[in-house]
Amino acid sequence: MSDARTLTLDSTPNLTVLFARAAATSIGRGGPLQDVQVRRPRTWIHLAQLAAYDKVCGFALRDTLPATYLHVLVFPLQATLMADRRFPLGMPGLVHVRNRIVQRRPVDAGEPLTLRSSARALRPHEKGAQIDLVGEVRVGDELVWEGVSTYLSRGASVPGATMPAQHVVVDLGPEAPANAVWDVPGDMGRRYAAVSGDVDPMHLSSLAARAFGFPGALVQGMWIKAHALAAIEARLPDAYVVDVDFSEPLLLPSIVNFFAAQQDQGWDFAVRSAEEPGDHLRGTIRAL
Amino acid sequence: MAGTTSGPRSAVVVGGNRIPFARANGPYIHASNQDMLTAALDGLVARFDLSDRGVGEVAAGAVIKHSRDVNLTRESVLGSRLAPTTPAYDVQQACGTGLEAAILVANKVALGQIDCGIAGGVDSASDAPIAVSDSLREKLLAANRAKAPLARIKALRGLRPGHLVPEIPRITEPRTGLLMGEHQAITTAEWQIGRAAQDELAAASHHNLAAAYDRGFFDDLVTPYLRVTRDQNLRPDTSVEKLARLKPVFGKGEGATMTAGNSTPLTDGASVVLLGSQQWADERGLPALARFVDAQTAAVDYVNGGEGLLMAPAYAVVPLLARNGLSLQDFDYYEIHEAFASTVLATLAAWESEKFCVERLGLDAALGQIDRSKVNVNGSSLAAGHPFGATGGRIVASLAKQLSQKGSGRGLISICAAGGQGVVAILEAI
Repeated sequence: MSDARTLTLDSTPNLTVLFARAAATSIGRGGPLQDVQVRRPRTWIHLAQLAAYDKVCGFALRDTLPATYLHVLVFPLQATLMADRRFPLGMPGLVHVRNRIVQRRPVDAGEPLTLRSSARALRPHEKGAQIDLVGEVRVGDELVWEGVSTYLSRGASVPGATMPAQHVVVDLGPEAPANAVWDVPGDMGRRYAAVSGDVDPMHLSSLAARAFGFPGALVQGMWIKAHALAAIEARLPDAYVVDVDFSEPLLLPSIVNFFAAQQDQGWDFAVRSAEEPGDHLRGTIRAL
Repeated sequence: MAGTTSGPRSAVVVGGNRIPFARANGPYIHASNQDMLTAALDGLVARFDLSDRGVGEVAAGAVIKHSRDVNLTRESVLGSRLAPTTPAYDVQQACGTGLEAAILVANKVALGQIDCGIAGGVDSASDAPIAVSDSLREKLLAANRAKAPLARIKALRGLRPGHLVPEIPRITEPRTGLLMGEHQAITTAEWQIGRAAQDELAAASHHNLAAAYDRGFFDDLVTPYLRVTRDQNLRPDTSVEKLARLKPVFGKGEGATMTAGNSTPLTDGASVVLLGSQQWADERGLPALARFVDAQTAAVDYVNGGEGLLMAPAYAVVPLLARNGLSLQDFDYYEIHEAFASTVLATLAAWESEKFCVERLGLDAALGQIDRSKVNVNGSSLAAGHPFGATGGRIVASLAKQLSQKGSGRGLISICAAGGQGVVAILEAI
């Protein structure tokens, strides 16, 4: 049942339409965060789409889903929430700054999934305001996956005291050489958009990215996270938390270095520019 | 040699795993060779707890391979749950790839160079590599070698639209230009193998495979992949009557007896087999299904020598039997790869023919008839399909399990391969 506070989708919404609607209605957003959630029952995995995602991100085609693929399934629900006029922040220019995924167990591509997304913790930030988009995936009643995407809206102002930002801290050892060098081609934003539906214009064209103050098109943070996860895919535990910070935007094309170090209960990893200081991504994986 | 006084120890087959085989351009259309081999390995790792136990070596290969897959097996190991410190190498001997890989691993175990290893193979007819024409390739290489921009342009001069047409791999023999089916049609005619006999063998393959699935024979040999749970080509309800309605696809005129029903279809799939020393298996509480006794390869001159392309296994068994002091009748099971129904029938006919055995094999008499009820008792490639590199692993694991269930006896494996080659092997119950 849908009431005003729960939007139930029975198919995947068209993200291009949602992005356009969100852009057209972005002026005059504000006010307090309302208790709205989006739900999508009976979701089945489309194997061809999964295979295309795996290829772009570097995963092997398996019967179990990459943890980041469930984010791709939940993302249209997030976008629906953000395009809704009740959502307090304008969607254009929102930057994904942190993503935390909890995989409670491997999810099989044959399982019917119920997806849910809601927003919480609208809070002031030194550069504007931040908000968490929370996703949930259930098989029947069993919670198998949770995701928290933290977005920053530059320049937005919300009441309250600014809390110091929490960052992901990684221990990669001193002066360790890179585990891998990634040559990220200029069209990676478009390629990831095609398999994930994240068609935010700043990933698709440098012209659009400049409009948001970036020097050129940047790749989606969730591609960086997925590609990093794919790099250690075979050695991931069955149940784990993977938490990443997106720091410096990864401009396209780029050559970047990937670092990973095994820890007691998982891994620490980072994606760093080959030329300039600063991390594009810092992340930790911890077994549950 | 490690720790033996009476010659090399022999390897035992501990178990196997494969993904269900699927028809080309079917459910595995998006899966690469690496994806499928990784899936087969991970199923084996899960079944025998190999991420903790460790494996000495992995040998596997694919017949149709992308040029980027230089290290296909090692890359698959790195993507699997096997320890990243597991060495691996690629093997390629056309349709003999999987069995040849098993021979290599078994030999290393026998010599004490490794305690255990995995042999396997994979093939995708769906995700096939496409090559550029030789003319285009030569021009691109020349342009790449040229240092000055003008020289580069010069190197590309003379490029015609026709050069841009890609080359799709076909199962033709490079030296004869004939498809494998066309080659087999010649052999079929030579041995006068009739249509009815081929259709009977094809129907039996489907019925035997279906019965094996029904009694749970494959429960610990096959792991579902991408929602496929059984070999997709399997038609349990096929019959000689239904098969008789199909139109011939190979051969000409009256002699055209080979149809899509009694020839294997292009297939995608992967299989792996775990081999080890008896001691290694015992110490880890793992089963030993069968002993990998011996193996032999042979090749025939199908180009100018007048022998059939797929007849090499008929030759390979001769030294194998002699070396082991066995007759062709000393087996409880025969696994003769069904490239085509007529391949199996022509091989049997050749062994029964005194003329062939004396003149071609150099024997004193015919190898003789075998009990047909012992051939491919759990179905073979006509029903399961034939992802080239994966067939050897499928057969080794299935035969080993069959021998283990019987508790005694031995089995003969015979696999024909492109290039006029044959690979045969003996497994024995423990």
